[in-house]
Amino acid sequence: MKISGSYFLPLPPEQAYQRLQDSQVLAEAMPGCESLDKIGEDEYRMKMKMALASLSGNFDGKVRITEQSPPNSFKLMVEGSGKVGFMKGEGLLKFTPKDAGTEVSYEGDVQVGGTIAAVGQRLIDGTAKMMIKRFFDKVAA
Amino acid sequence: MIPQQFEYSAPKTLDEALGLLAEGARPLAGGMSLIPMMKLRLSNPEHLVDLGRIKDLSYIREQGTVIHIGATTTHHDVESSPLLRGKCPLLAETASHIGDVQVRNMGTIGGSVAHADPAADYPAALQALEAKIVLKGAKSERTVSAADFFVDTFTTALESGEIVREVIVPVDGSGTGTSYQKVLQPASGFAIVGIAVRVRKQGDKVAMARIGVTGLSNRAFRATAAEKALEGRSGSPAEIQAVAALVGQGVDANSDLHASADYRLHLASVYAAKALAVALGRIA
Amino acid sequence: MATTTITKTEKLVGKRIRRREDPRLITGTATYVDDIKMPGMLYAAILRSPHAAAKIRSIDISKAKALKGVHAVFVGEDTKNAGAVPCGASLPGLRVPHHNVLAIDRVYLVGHPVAVVVATDRYIARDGVELIEVDYEVENAVADPEKALAPGAHAVHPQWPDNVAFTFHQEGGDVTKAFAEADVIVKQRIVSQRLIPNSMETRGVVADWHAADRTMNLYTSTQAPHLVRSLVAQILGLEENRFRVVAPEVGGGFGAKIQTYAEEILLAWISMKLQKPVKWIESRRENFLCTIHGRGHVDFYEIAAKRDGTITGIKLKIIQDLGAYFTVLTPAIPTLSVLMMPGLYRTPSISADIVGAFTNCTPTDAYRGAGRPEATHGIERMVDMVAAELKMDPAEIRLKNFVRNEEFPFPTATGLVYDSGDYSAPLKKAMEMAGYDKLRKEQVEARKQGRYMGIGLCAYGEICAFGPSPATPAGGWESATVKIEPSGQVTVLTGISPHGQGEETTFAQIVGDELGVGIDDVLVVHGDTSMVPYGIGTFGSRSTAVGGTALYFALQDLKATIKKFGEMLLESDDVTFAGGQCTCNKSGKSIGVKGIAAAAYRAMKLPPNTGPGLVATHFWEPPNFTFPFGAHLVVTEVNGETGDVSIKRYIAIDDCGNILNPLIVDGQVHGGVAQGIGQALWEQAVYDDNGQLVTGEFMDYTMPRAHMMPWIESGHTITPTPVNPLGVKGVGEAGTIGASPAVVNSVVDALSPLGVRHLDMPLTPEKLWKLISAGRNA
Repeated sequence: MKISGSYFLPLPPEQAYQRLQDSQVLAEAMPGCESLDKIGEDEYRMKMKMALASLSGNFDGKVRITEQSPPNSFKLMVEGSGKVGFMKGEGLLKFTPKDAGTEVSYEGDVQVGGTIAAVGQRLIDGTAKMMIKRFFDKVAA
Repeated sequence: MIPQQFEYSAPKTLDEALGLLAEGARPLAGGMSLIPMMKLRLSNPEHLVDLGRIKDLSYIREQGTVIHIGATTTHHDVESSPLLRGKCPLLAETASHIGDVQVRNMGTIGGSVAHADPAADYPAALQALEAKIVLKGAKSERTVSAADFFVDTFTTALESGEIVREVIVPVDGSGTGTSYQKVLQPASGFAIVGIAVRVRKQGDKVAMARIGVTGLSNRAFRATAAEKALEGRSGSPAEIQAVAALVGQGVDANSDLHASADYRLHLASVYAAKALAVALGRIA
Repeated sequence: MATTTITKTEKLVGKRIRRREDPRLITGTATYVDDIKMPGMLYAAILRSPHAAAKIRSIDISKAKALKGVHAVFVGEDTKNAGAVPCGASLPGLRVPHHNVLAIDRVYLVGHPVAVVVATDRYIARDGVELIEVDYEVENAVADPEKALAPGAHAVHPQWPDNVAFTFHQEGGDVTKAFAEADVIVKQRIVSQRLIPNSMETRGVVADWHAADRTMNLYTSTQAPHLVRSLVAQILGLEENRFRVVAPEVGGGFGAKIQTYAEEILLAWISMKLQKPVKWIESRRENFLCTIHGRGHVDFYEIAAKRDGTITGIKLKIIQDLGAYFTVLTPAIPTLSVLMMPGLYRTPSISADIVGAFTNCTPTDAYRGAGRPEATHGIERMVDMVAAELKMDPAEIRLKNFVRNEEFPFPTATGLVYDSGDYSAPLKKAMEMAGYDKLRKEQVEARKQGRYMGIGLCAYGEICAFGPSPATPAGGWESATVKIEPSGQVTVLTGISPHGQGEETTFAQIVGDELGVGIDDVLVVHGDTSMVPYGIGTFGSRSTAVGGTALYFALQDLKATIKKFGEMLLESDDVTFAGGQCTCNKSGKSIGVKGIAAAAYRAMKLPPNTGPGLVATHFWEPPNFTFPFGAHLVVTEVNGETGDVSIKRYIAIDDCGNILNPLIVDGQVHGGVAQGIGQALWEQAVYDDNGQLVTGEFMDYTMPRAHMMPWIESGHTITPTPVNPLGVKGVGEAGTIGASPAVVNSVVDALSPLGVRHLDMPLTPEKLWKLISAGRNA
């Protein structure tokens, strides 16, 4: 599934770019993130506990940052798998100065597999949007 | 289709239930959403508290200008209640659109509201009715408006340990016309779009318009721009069309296999027009 | 001489008799596989791949094995000696992937079985599954047959990088000449989408091995118990005579239970390994992923016609989405489409090509109609397009091209011989019932008002009563034994295996008329290989036409024996057996079946060259298929604002030859039409690009429900077949085959003022709304 959107951060592009690569910020902002441990250059191991309505599940996964072009763009990849299935999100984040801040636009792809893909079809779009919004809200905070 | 092991309690009193919930148990009402998720092991609660045996949690009572509906009141009870059909017909009509007969016999208003599925039927009506939702925890009770209750996809104002205790809807006297119109997703029965309309006229002008929308986006909401545009007008067919077109304005619409965002927005406008026309026509 | 007995003069065949199987079904007292419980029985649960294509790096079963209540955990390596899931179809050059019962080093589709946990109850078994850890190396997948055939696509099976399982070519007549001399050539790509058969009862197996006497009892929800017996016994190296397969009550199949599945082999293997009975019941979620799917065609049609509407040739290229593996009939299904491609039309020349494509999806196989719905959908859409091109009425072009009554038996360009027919009769009857000319006038009016009203026709044919043995992978005959018990009651043992078709009723009707006994004196036994003679099973609208005929001939043998006893007992050589009585034509003395049965078993005296008892068995080989036909007429209206289709009228006229029980025939037509409308309007198996089945539950896969069905006005014409003495052709698949093209033709007709000439299924409201809004804006 394709995803795209944008979010305004009240920071100059350089800072916005930095903030979105800060593992501490990522750990706090990623919905459900319980731990984020560096395992390599721009690569982290992540444990997540997702809870949405009655759905809940633990995911084990990775976060990876690639194609860095500071302060213009980088690629963020998040993947996780658990008993209920797996998910993989990949997005190119672009940073454009706007009104004394930065517009962060993203464009990418979300893949979901396993039971959640088969029964959650009608909710994947909305849930992805909600997670992304929560993420940026935290990043901005 | 086999759930994990879980503990099950069926207390007789609300206090007992709230005590267990405060310890981390999860509430079970009609189970129409929770149990399928448990069978698929997408939901694995360790302890379920069945609210169905609690005395005096299933009721429909008129009190002055409002009607109180207990949390475990089934959709069927709402749909078939003479009191609601007479004095809050929008809620009864909406209940009749939920799922199928089996779901309506088991599912409850409290469960549906607390679950806050973005495509559930009740939330549209509750928004249009400006309903109040009473939330009860072990040591607290508070009342929030429907507008504040439905926060996001499956996300409500409920705090952990709290349950929906009752829903309070206004008595709609004569002079009010209502309608719920729904585009059904044929596989699941959920709303692709559901529009609840409640209108009142003074003379030949619309004095009050409330439009609740479900299925279109991340949560049920009130289409306030459309409401404002109708108030003060006569509700002519041309006005209805113009007002209906505002319902989806600025909304980040959902998209899935059954309906793209564009189609959903289009349906919202078509069904809003339908609901407005029916509701205006029903003003006695 | 005693003459009181069971007598009956009223004929049972042809009457609307309620199904005798229904009381146990509607009171919940029938015994399905899941109702079978045995002392010490264990339960199996299967871990399945969440990925469509991956290498298995490692599997850790230690935690699952350590769980209290778990008896065993098996992975692919353990079951290597359990053989492979069989494919019965053979085509020249067919690439058959080795289909292990559990994946060994790779998974090829979502739902691929990876490990099995056997435990004391189903909850623990399921808990055990959750404790298995598999390390997958995920690969790209391909879930679309056209993409699979494109250069550079992911290879489903690494050894066959082009994803081609087979190619197939067939020609008849002179298609080059037909196209060279055509006045008009119409081309269209037509998709028959992937569907998911959903019977009320999912699959399930109980395997019960007794080592001491080397016997296996396998209870399975199948349409073909003997086939399962032969295949599983052979695969596991067991003795066929000590291998009993029972199909207890089977809650529907629709073709998806003809196959021998991995779980049937696996459970038998586990029971041998653990020396315990073991049960596995498929969950609905597994049913969506692991039971076969149907259809999955992308067809490229070209049709050549003369200016007067005469169809002279058809070219067809089929891309068949096979899925990752084969089940029993997978590659054979599209060849049935080729046989059926001319439909009911004379069409002297055809050319057909099939490319079977592997995808990382569930295998496709027989689903109600199996190859014929696809072919009928194609030809019936194409005929409409030719009519539109030539500005002819769709009824007129059909009537012009039908095989004529005097041409039967009619050899088709695809190599079949159509048995009998009056192809214009059902169409004319449907048009008369509908008031066709008046409807066309109403349509003109509706269009003036801006309404989208459509009238759709479909004239369909079928290949039924499978079939002559040379045309089938495992024999096409059928068997029946009839026993008159000493009490005079009649037991029928049949090789077919009904699971909703109602033969316990229709066969009793046949027996009742032939032997002159009441329907309640007849018991029809089926589905137990230890009780009934070897049989082929129930599929392909064959049960009554082939199994019923075997029964009919067994009854004739039995009647001859009865007559001999009658002659002996009445001491006359001028005896007639009719209405359950042997009557001496001279003395008028008579004796009934009951008296004869008593004498035949008491055996105080026997007729010359006749032994005691009253039993007859007949194995009947049909000389040909049968070819039922019919016409559907559908009136629809499309809502211009929303794209919703409403079916205003549905007329279904069927000619299935003689009708044994009109109530059951109507039921078959209604159910079939529901499935056909389901395909036309709602159903579709949707995979995403990664091979995830996103319509993996009833939340998103739209099965038709009762309240979504139109009122069906049904009717019949009757053209008996000369292929069997009952004159019956079969009706199990007719409704499905006729429905999808009739509905689509109707909706295309409704939207034709917008320039629409073809629509692929399902006709979802959004798809139609987009067309309508584009048309309005144009």
